[in-house]
Amino acid sequence: MIGMLKEGQIMKIHYITGIAALFVVAVHIIVRLITPSFSLSLVYENVIKNYHNTPYIILLESILILVAIHGFNGLRIILLELRQNKPWEDGVAIFTIAATIALIAYGTRTIIVASGLGLG
Amino acid sequence: METTREKNDSRDNREGLKGWLNPSRYGWERISYWLQRLTGVFLLVYFVGHIYETSSLVRGENAWNAMLELTQTPWGHIFLILVIGTSTFHSTNGIRLIFTHAGKGLGNPERPDYPYHAMSLNYRQKSGIWVALILSAIAMLYGSSVLFGGE
Repeated sequence: MIGMLKEGQIMKIHYITGIAALFVVAVHIIVRLITPSFSLSLVYENVIKNYHNTPYIILLESILILVAIHGFNGLRIILLELRQNKPWEDGVAIFTIAATIALIAYGTRTIIVASGLGLG
Repeated sequence: METTREKNDSRDNREGLKGWLNPSRYGWERISYWLQRLTGVFLLVYFVGHIYETSSLVRGENAWNAMLELTQTPWGHIFLILVIGTSTFHSTNGIRLIFTHAGKGLGNPERPDYPYHAMSLNYRQKSGIWVALILSAIAMLYGSSVLFGGE
């Protein structure tokens, strides 16, 4: 898929996901700090309660997708800066796409199971 | 006839990681370039770890509390403070880079004269790097007060 996009287009996606991630992560942290406090927000019942709140689930899934795309594309850029040749570039592209998909799938599984959406 | 790609493949003039980390070339832009990549890799590793840490939720309350015992320690808090600092730097410097990439804050092109300071590194760019560093320090102080404040 990366091969179908120009580097300029990928950089725009990188910037957009970065700025969007900044907003959703900020909301995630603020929610953790104010409801009810940082230490209480880590109590199991409170965490599970968060996972039963639909807007919060959407927020968590957005963070997962945006940060995974931004993070692994950033890693791809770093690896391409270190070395350039076709096998390396193809290998890096395949690795980063696979890692992005795997991380999103793993995180989504946690969200689905913890929210009870996977039951029944 | 050799194509450009083949020429590049056979060329052995890449410095790789050595070139990336070479401290003899450090100016402000280079330090910012280097920190942006180091903080990015660090945050990606943290993010993967955080997703794994959070997945203990699905194994029930005991697994979640066992994970908390591992992470909610003074060293775990120091690590989180580092995460706060690096994420603030990465975000602020990233916004500066987006403006730079769009040509904002670079000024007009000028003839390179002795002592050949980089024309792109004007006060706007330098102050952007300083703002990123200062905001990171403030965020780390706030993070410390929350994590070690006994809330």
